Amino acid sequence: MTRTRAASPRGFVTIGRAVAIPVARVSVVVAIVTVVLIVAAAVATLSLGRLGVPVTDLPRALTGGADGAQAFVLGRLRGPRLVVAVGTGAALGLSGALFQTVTRNPLGSPDVIGLAAGAGAGAAVVALYLPGVLPVPVGALAGAAAAMALVYVSTGTGFRNPGRLIVAGIGVFSIATAFTQYVVYAVERDKAAVLTAYVNGSLAARSWSHAVTIWAVLLVVVPLVALIAGRLEIGEMGDELAGVLGAGPRSTWAWAVTLSIVLSAGAVSVAGPIAFIALTAPQIAKRVTGRPGPHLTPSALVGALLLVLADLAAQQSPLPVNLPVGIYTLALGGAYLGHLLIREWRKGRL
Amino acid sequence: MNTPAEPGGKGLNVREVTLSYGGAPIVREVSLDIPHRGFTMIIGPNGCGKSTLIKALARGLKPAGGRVLLHGRDLWTYRGKEAARHVALLPQTPVAPDGITVRDLVRRGRYPHHTLLRQWSPDDDTAIGFALDRTGLSDLADAQVNELSGGQRQRAWIAMVLAQQTNLLLLDEPTTFLDIAHQYELLELCRELHDEGKTIVAVLHDLNQAARFASHLVVMRRGQVVAEGPPAEVLTSGLVADVFGLACDIVPDPRTFTPMVVPHARFPASSSPGAA
Repeated sequence: MTRTRAASPRGFVTIGRAVAIPVARVSVVVAIVTVVLIVAAAVATLSLGRLGVPVTDLPRALTGGADGAQAFVLGRLRGPRLVVAVGTGAALGLSGALFQTVTRNPLGSPDVIGLAAGAGAGAAVVALYLPGVLPVPVGALAGAAAAMALVYVSTGTGFRNPGRLIVAGIGVFSIATAFTQYVVYAVERDKAAVLTAYVNGSLAARSWSHAVTIWAVLLVVVPLVALIAGRLEIGEMGDELAGVLGAGPRSTWAWAVTLSIVLSAGAVSVAGPIAFIALTAPQIAKRVTGRPGPHLTPSALVGALLLVLADLAAQQSPLPVNLPVGIYTLALGGAYLGHLLIREWRKGRL
Repeated sequence: MNTPAEPGGKGLNVREVTLSYGGAPIVREVSLDIPHRGFTMIIGPNGCGKSTLIKALARGLKPAGGRVLLHGRDLWTYRGKEAARHVALLPQTPVAPDGITVRDLVRRGRYPHHTLLRQWSPDDDTAIGFALDRTGLSDLADAQVNELSGGQRQRAWIAMVLAQQTNLLLLDEPTTFLDIAHQYELLELCRELHDEGKTIVAVLHDLNQAARFASHLVVMRRGQVVAEGPPAEVLTSGLVADVFGLACDIVPDPRTFTPMVVPHARFPASSSPGAA
């Protein structure tokens, strides 16, 4: 029996006497609203534009009754792209929430400190230099791990000091991006679309195999994240208190960083280093819930919503050329990054 | 309500403990018995290792040498949560997460009593209610911690460690950021908790407050314990000169008759410029 028990701002999901997990009611409301918005954006993605399947036809088309043209749009063009967007956005949002929680700084985000760029470089090497030798996600994971090792070593203080983290991260970001550009130029001269896909990220021409990859990563990583969620919450009160409360801050920290790297690498291997979803989703989640906590579930949902919306904009843009979605998130997220940098600097946290 | 099994019931014993943060030792081969049901205060000049020692008493820092025994057993043979059901430590600068309410903060003190799947039990409500009541915060339970006054905020943290329901309560400089009235308010609260049966250990800077409230005084200098015992025996002008480098008289506190430190004036009043 699953039921929720009311207790002022918190409820508890209980199953018999064995399970009792506290859940804030506002978090449930935020989650439901976000899911509704994702569904609305998804319907718009599938139905808008010249090739769109009209909303009235969607229920029938999605349950197997699609005719030839509609089947092609849903099964080959927009369907896989949408499913990849939802999974990738969720992975990026969760990855950002994990990293920002352990660094206790919004700027300690995978896309700011070169993690995603490193994954992009690794993916580019494997996909373009060594096609068929290694799976792309393996390259992305190696690139992400190498980038984080480089940041960790070059700060001299690990990931703790936000100022050093960001400076080192910007350096690693630039190195990784330059490296990616070199690889793409060396192999795919004059193909702007390929270059952008590896440098900025793109959801164009995604297939079901991409969808399987990102959702498999989520299927493996999300339960592991759930295991450390409670300890992350205690870790918010400082390492010293977390240690004496028995929340093992060091191992929690190592797990969170590792899982964040895997999520980012998974996202990058299917969609390239799409910027600033990981940075903004946890911040939006934090503001709309207005509660403490690592905001894991809302960050994943907001990340999915942001990426679906950005990709909807990319697909339906009135611009004469179809820009990759990474350009849109870069433009909007860049402005937010500037805002955060100034705010954190004024607060003396950089 | 707060008595877990106590084999031997010996509380905390420190045996030749050496502590360091990877570099030179901060605390060297210290041995110390924390009096069971006592109110122990650790004093000493800045950098003497008192905060480092209290951290090690709560399993917050693993000794580089020697052992800390909890009820006769090495503290590091306990699992983290198990140790945290016996010993609670309030660090000097805990971090209140953005937007957290007093009740949620206090609830986090229940963490050592939870398991992965059981993150709430009926005991929680009792423990949280008791902690809020004891610290006078019941009416502020739904207020945000970061909007409280300094004194209220420190009481909220005390409530959090009380919710842990441990017999041993360790406080690292609990009065540092409080004004004088709130310092005494907090120390009175500690005394009440002590009177109710808790063993309390606190690091304190103010010698007069330490002498007034402690049942047992531990004096540290350069990583070692140089004196311990009842305040009236330990706190002498010779010791204060020796440990703190401060010339002073020790007079009885006119209210409590505990020893009171009166530092010598550098310029006697009669020869001060203002007196002419």
